[in-house]
Amino acid sequence: MRRFFSIFKMDLTNLFKNPVLVGYNTVFAALIILIMGFLTSGNYADSRNAYQYYTVTMLVYGILNGAMTASNCFMERDIKRPNLRIIYSPAGGFPIYFSKILASFVFDYVLHILLLAVFCPLLHVTLGSNPLYFIALMAPVEFAAVALGTFFCCVFHCEETTSMLLSLTVSLLCILGGTFFSLDGLGPALAFISKLSPVKWLNDAFFAVACDNSLALFWPVFLGAALISALLILGCRLFFRTEDYL
Amino acid sequence: MENLMSVSHLTKSFKENKVLNDVSFEVHQGEVLCFLGPNGAGKTTTINILTAALGSDGGEITYKGRPINRQLRSYKQALGIVPQDLALYEELSAEQNLSFFASLYGLHGPALKKAINEALVFAGLDDRRRDKVKTFSGGMKRRLNIACAIAHRPELVIMDEPTVGIDPQSRNYILDSIKKLRDEGMTVIYTTHYMEEVEVISTRIIIMDHGSIITEGTKKSLKEGIENEKKYTIDIEENGKISRDDFFTVEGVQSVKIEGNTIEITSLKGIENLDRIIALLSDRGEKIKNITSENASLETVFLKLTGRKLRD
Repeated sequence: MRRFFSIFKMDLTNLFKNPVLVGYNTVFAALIILIMGFLTSGNYADSRNAYQYYTVTMLVYGILNGAMTASNCFMERDIKRPNLRIIYSPAGGFPIYFSKILASFVFDYVLHILLLAVFCPLLHVTLGSNPLYFIALMAPVEFAAVALGTFFCCVFHCEETTSMLLSLTVSLLCILGGTFFSLDGLGPALAFISKLSPVKWLNDAFFAVACDNSLALFWPVFLGAALISALLILGCRLFFRTEDYL
Repeated sequence: MENLMSVSHLTKSFKENKVLNDVSFEVHQGEVLCFLGPNGAGKTTTINILTAALGSDGGEITYKGRPINRQLRSYKQALGIVPQDLALYEELSAEQNLSFFASLYGLHGPALKKAINEALVFAGLDDRRRDKVKTFSGGMKRRLNIACAIAHRPELVIMDEPTVGIDPQSRNYILDSIKKLRDEGMTVIYTTHYMEEVEVISTRIIIMDHGSIITEGTKKSLKEGIENEKKYTIDIEENGKISRDDFFTVEGVQSVKIEGNTIEITSLKGIENLDRIIALLSDRGEKIKNITSENASLETVFLKLTGRKLRD
């Protein structure tokens, strides 16, 4: 356990020392919310609704992009080489990838909560009558996203390939899921396609908690993300091979 | 010497490419066992299998009489590994790197502090302990790379070309450090393609090429077959008129290798024939730029066994 904690602490330190990742999860996320909210504020009767919409959808977009945080933490070139020593050590295989998942989760989760803590009062964005539900719902989704990033690394053995595939997949699902603009008003065919994207379900679940104080989608999404996380960790166990690090 | 590790009939292929072919050897307690061979000889693959990071296709490795896969945790605990590439966190200090890597081997508290201090002194980096690794020179990084492997006082240290790309002073420092480790009773497995390093630190040598062990023994035993030979290296201005066969007319010449404007001749030691070789070159109208003469070395052994130079 002490070894695992050492590895986890080192992974977390490396993440917080990476200015690109910190900036991506804070400054970039803030800018995109502000820009998208500002550009579309004319489409809403109350401009605050634009910021409400984009704070939630961009947060979901940021959470899903957490998969790239995990791939960076796991196999980024400068990190991968010293990580080799963990492979050589008696720590074993499981702590290596699970610590990356856990560290990436804590890193993304903390930064996203900080982002909400700043933006909600600033832009009058609501997270529902009890924001704890919203914050709690973020957790399994963040966890599933970083587990997906780690799983892709275990399968493709390469950060560049993993990040490229994840970026494409996340962007496509987010476009279909109405993250950047709602597809519901663009005809029944596009609205149907949009419903196929799991991002649409995520957005709906977060909006239900934040705007309608409804927990109807809370538990399905919470438990679904938890189940996916467990399956992805199992997948990591099956696909992780120490020689991919050599 | 007591047998520490036995490797028998190790084989490994990457797809169709067979990189290790029936490799067997033993490692004795307290020795510096050097693996010498050119790039692609199979040294690093052997090392990767010994570290248990890479699986083999066949064969068995036993450590202290037990297969390593039946005691993986305790086996890894007994190892200290210096990988070929620098395996350090550049954004962290030397002390932080050592602290983390030593903690992976179960060290903590005062024992960890003691281990860090000793490793920093060993690497000659005590005064730079709080500096970030990214501010270090290449040689300092290499020294820290070794220190990270020995901080937990392993029984067996495995070093894969630890002196690649560094200045002569740092190389000498590292070689002296390895001798120090040997004197302290640690067993060292060391791979390199620099035969000068092997000459300095080895107690036993394994020469590899094309995934197989060609020969093994001590420096003395390996040189036995060639100790009556010496080597001339002659640089000429422009080669065009002389062939290998011409040199065999000179008494004592054993082998000749011509590469561009450089001629390497192995000759019997007791026969003074350099003046005749020079005369031969003059007769053919060759202008000599430089001549060096040296006694038989491991390079000569390798050349004799494989027909090519270590760094070909």
